[in-house]
Amino acid sequence: MTLNVKVAEPQTIGAVPHGSRRTAPLSGGRFEGPRLRGTVVPGGSADWLLLRADGVLELDLRATLLTHDGALISMRSFGLRHGPPEVMAAIGRGEPVDPATYYFRTTPRFETAHPAYVFLNRLIAVATGDRRADGPVYVIHEVL
Amino acid sequence: MAGTAGIGARPLMVLRLATSPTQEVGSTPHGTLFIFPVTGGSFEGDRLRGRVLAGGGDWVTARPDGTLELDLRVTLETDDHALIHMTFTGLRDDANHYFRTLPRFETAAPKYAFLNRLMAVGIGEIRPDGPVHVIEEIL
Repeated sequence: MTLNVKVAEPQTIGAVPHGSRRTAPLSGGRFEGPRLRGTVVPGGSADWLLLRADGVLELDLRATLLTHDGALISMRSFGLRHGPPEVMAAIGRGEPVDPATYYFRTTPRFETAHPAYVFLNRLIAVATGDRRADGPVYVIHEVL
Repeated sequence: MAGTAGIGARPLMVLRLATSPTQEVGSTPHGTLFIFPVTGGSFEGDRLRGRVLAGGGDWVTARPDGTLELDLRVTLETDDHALIHMTFTGLRDDANHYFRTLPRFETAAPKYAFLNRLMAVGIGEIRPDGPVHVIEEIL
C-alpha cells in the first residue's frame, strides 16, 4: 500500500544521550492498496525521530490506521534516513527532493484484531519513503 | 530479492547459528516463551565474514495464532576482529512456510560502519544443523 501521512508541528526534545530527539505528531493521512485502504487516526500517531551523532536519522513511527470498513490497525515501523548533507538540508527547508538522492527505508509491522485483516499480523514489510513538505509518503511492500 | 518487488536489495551475508538446548520458559502473557541460546556459528558475505560468538540468543514467543515472534541478539566477530552487535525481530509461520526477519547492526569499526546505516531483510530456514538466515541489504 501507499501511505501518506500529514505531520503536525514537531516537538523538539533536543539533545539526549543517543542524539538529538524530535517528535512529529501525525495529524492525519490516508493509505491505499489492493487489500486495504483508509485513513490515519490522529492522536497517538507520531514519529519519534532521533538524529544520531553519525548523521543518520532513526525513525520510530507508531500510527493507528482506520480502514474504510471500520477496522483499526496498529502500525509500528522503524526506519533510517540519511543522505548527502545538501540533500538533507533541502528536506529540512521543506523543498521538494528526488527520493532517489537519499536513503529512506522503514520496516512496518502491523497488529489488528479484525478478521478481514489478520493477514497483517503475519507479515514482514519494508517501505521506501519520500519526504515531502507536508509529510512523508511511504510505499509499503509485503516481504513475500 | 524475490520477496520485495519494487525495492532493490543486495546480498549481505548468510548467517548460520548453532544453538544449545532450548529453554522453555512456558506460558507468559504474550504466548509461550522459548529461549534458544546461541553457542556459535558463522557468517559470510562479499563484504564481511567471521564467526558468531557464544552468549547471545533468540527469544521466541509462540503466539496463540500459531505464529512465532523472534527476538534475537548476538555478537558477530569478523575475520579481522571487529565486533558487530546484531539484533533482529521476525516472524516464523511454519504452516505457511514463512520465516522472515529484520536484522539491525551496530558497530564501532570504521570499516563496517556501513552496517549502522542500512536496513535489511532475512529469509530464514531451519536445517538439521541449525537455523540459516540469508540476509539482504535493502537498497
